[in-house]
Amino acid sequence: MLKRIAHLRGCLLLAICCLLGLGAGGTLVHANDGASSYNYSYWGDTVAAPRAYEATSLYNGAKLGAGQLKNPADLFVTADQQLYVLDSGNNRILVLDRQFKLLRVIDSFQRDGKQESFLNPQGLFVTDRQELIVADTGNKRIVHLDQDGRLVKVIDSPKSELLAEGFKFEPVRVVADKAQRIYAMAAGVYDGFMEFSASGDFTSFIGANRVNFDPTDYLWKMLSTRQQRSQMVMFTPTEFTNLDINDEGFLYATNGQASDNVKKLNAQGSDILRREGYFPPEGDIRFTSLDGPTRLVDIDVADSEIFAILDATRGRIFTYNGDGHFMYVFGGIGNQLGEFNTPVAIERLGDDYLVLDQALGEITVFQSTEYGRTLNEAVRSYYKGEEEKAYELFQQTINMNANLEFAYSGIGKALLRQGEYGDAMRYFKQSMDQKGYSKAFLLYRKQVLREHFTAIMTGVAVLAVALVLLRRYLKHKGGKKNVPMEA
Amino acid sequence: MFPWKRELVNYPFYLIMHPFNGYWDLKYERSKKTNLILSFAILFLLALTNILQTQYSGFLVQVVNPDNMNSLMEIVYVVVPVLFWCVANWSLTTLMDGEGKFEEIFTSTCFALIPLVVINFPWIWLSNVISLQETSFFRFSGSVAVAWFLFLMFVGNMTVHQYSPMKTIATGILTIVAMGFMAFLCMLFFSLMQQIVAFVSIIYQEIVLRS
Repeated sequence: MLKRIAHLRGCLLLAICCLLGLGAGGTLVHANDGASSYNYSYWGDTVAAPRAYEATSLYNGAKLGAGQLKNPADLFVTADQQLYVLDSGNNRILVLDRQFKLLRVIDSFQRDGKQESFLNPQGLFVTDRQELIVADTGNKRIVHLDQDGRLVKVIDSPKSELLAEGFKFEPVRVVADKAQRIYAMAAGVYDGFMEFSASGDFTSFIGANRVNFDPTDYLWKMLSTRQQRSQMVMFTPTEFTNLDINDEGFLYATNGQASDNVKKLNAQGSDILRREGYFPPEGDIRFTSLDGPTRLVDIDVADSEIFAILDATRGRIFTYNGDGHFMYVFGGIGNQLGEFNTPVAIERLGDDYLVLDQALGEITVFQSTEYGRTLNEAVRSYYKGEEEKAYELFQQTINMNANLEFAYSGIGKALLRQGEYGDAMRYFKQSMDQKGYSKAFLLYRKQVLREHFTAIMTGVAVLAVALVLLRRYLKHKGGKKNVPMEA
Repeated sequence: MFPWKRELVNYPFYLIMHPFNGYWDLKYERSKKTNLILSFAILFLLALTNILQTQYSGFLVQVVNPDNMNSLMEIVYVVVPVLFWCVANWSLTTLMDGEGKFEEIFTSTCFALIPLVVINFPWIWLSNVISLQETSFFRFSGSVAVAWFLFLMFVGNMTVHQYSPMKTIATGILTIVAMGFMAFLCMLFFSLMQQIVAFVSIIYQEIVLRS
C-alpha cells in the first residue's frame, strides 16, 4: 500500500501544485464540511475534519403527542432501545419507542395505598430489568419502581455518621449497577457520589473531586485572622455535574472544572480513565477567554468504551475512544437544526445521538455520516482486537480524513502484527506514537541485523584489520617526526 | 604529515582532557590568532550541531514542531549567551582583580563548549538507531556533556583570572546575575527605541496629513 503511495507521490505533488494555482478551488471542496467539525493535531492546532454526524430530525412535545415539554432534564435509552424522557416541569416521564412513538406516561405511583407523584425530578435511570429509578429532587427522595410501575422502594433522608446534622438530601442524577447498587449525585454534596446498597441504605461516598484553589486566595487566607477567615468562602472540592455507568459497572463522571473534568471511577472510587490521546479528554483545548472553557453537563458511555461529553458553553458534543483519543465533534449553539439553546443531556440510540434541549424542550437526533460510521466501526474492531478489519477501516477513514492522526497508529499496530516493521514505523511516526514506534523499531533493527549479519561482521572485521595495518604503517613511517604533545 | 593538525585538532582535545595545563597554555603559551580562529570555529560547530540536532535527531528523543524550527534562532541561542557571558564576566572581573583580558575570557569560554559538540554531534545520528529504553543513554551523555562543559568553564575562568576556586564560583554566580541585568537593559533599550521610532513616525504622519 505504502509503496503505491510513494509512486503516487509525484502525481500528487503535481496535482497539489495545480490546486494551489487555482487557489480558491482547493478550499471550495472542503467548504461543505463546515467549521463545526474539527480535530486537534498533535501540536494542538485545530485541523479540519469531515462531519461525522448530522442532525436529521427534531422532536418536541407536540410532535411526540404528549403536549409541550417543560424544562426536561434527563434522557435515558434502554438496552432494547426504549427512550425515557424526564419532563421535569410537568413532573412526568415519557416512554417512547425506537420510532419516537409515545408508549406510556408515568406520572405517579402507589405508595401504601395512596397515589403519589413526582416533584421536579432531575434524573432517571432504567436498569436492564426495566426497573425505573427516579431522582425525585423536589420531594428529596429517590423512587425505585419495577417494570410495571409498582413501587419497589423509596430512599429518603439517608442516615449515616458520614453525613452532617441537618443534611438535606436532594438527589439530582442517579445510576444503578448490575448488583442493584444505586449511585446518586446530590446537590450540595462535595464528597463524591452517594452509594446506596440494594436495600436502599446509604453505604459511602465514592470518588470525590480534588480541591482546587487559587494561590492568591490561599495567601490572603493565611494572612487573615480567624474571624475574617470565617467570613470567607471555604475551599471545597468541585461538585460533579453528571454521571453514567457502562456495562462493566464503571462510573463515568463529569465535573464543572475547565480541565481534568472527566473521570472513570472504579469500585474503589479512583480515577482509571486512560488519557493516551494527544490531549486529555476535556472538550475544547483552544478557546477565547471571552467564551471561556468547556463546561461539561453530561456524559454518555457506549460500547467499546467510546464516550461522549456534552459542553454547555458551546453546545458541542465531543466523542473519545477508550484510550482518550479525540474522534469527532458536532453540535453548537444557535437556531439551526443541529444547534441548541441549553443542551442538558445526551444519549445514544444505537449509533445515533440524541441531545435534549432544556429551554426549548426538544430532542435533536444526529445520525452518523459515512465517515462517522467508518470511524465508529474502526474503533470498535480495534477495541475487539480484530486487527485486520481495523486496518481496513482505518485506511478508509484516513482516505476521508488524512488529519486523523491517531488512526495511523491503529494501522501501524496492524502492520506490526503482520511483520511489516518498516511500514509500521512510518505509520507510528505519522501519528506521533513513540511507544509504538520504538516497538516496531526494535523488531525492525533485529530483522535488519539478522538479514545482513554476515555482511556486517565481514565489514567490521575488514575494517579492524585495515585500521591495525594503517596504524602500524603510520608509526613506521612518521614515528620520528611526530613527537607526542604531552611529552 | 599535517603540520596544522597538532595546532588545530590535537590541542582542543588535549585541553578538554587536561584542562589545567591546557588553559595555562591557552593563556601564556599559544598564539592569540589561532586561539581566536579555533574559538569561532567551535562556536560555528556548536550552532551547526544544534541546528542538525533539531532537524535530524531521532523521533524517539526529540519531537520538534517543524513550524517552530528556525535555524537563525538556533545560531542566536548559541552566540548571544556566549557574548553575554563574556561581557558580563569581563566587566565583573576587571573590578575584582581578574587577570584575564576579554579575548582570553572569550577563547576560554569557547573552548569549554567543545564537549557539547564532541558528545552531541555523534548522537544526532546514533539517536536514530536506538529504542525508547535506550534513550536513557542519550539523556545521560547529554548530562555528561553539560557537566563537562561546566567543569571546563570553572577551570578556564580560574586559570584565566588566576582566582582561587571559591572566588571563581562567586564570580560565576555574580556573572549570571549581571547577565540578567544586561538582558533587562537590552529589553528596556529596545522597547524605548521602539517607542521613540513610533513617536517620530506618528509626528511625521501628522505633519504629512495636515499639510
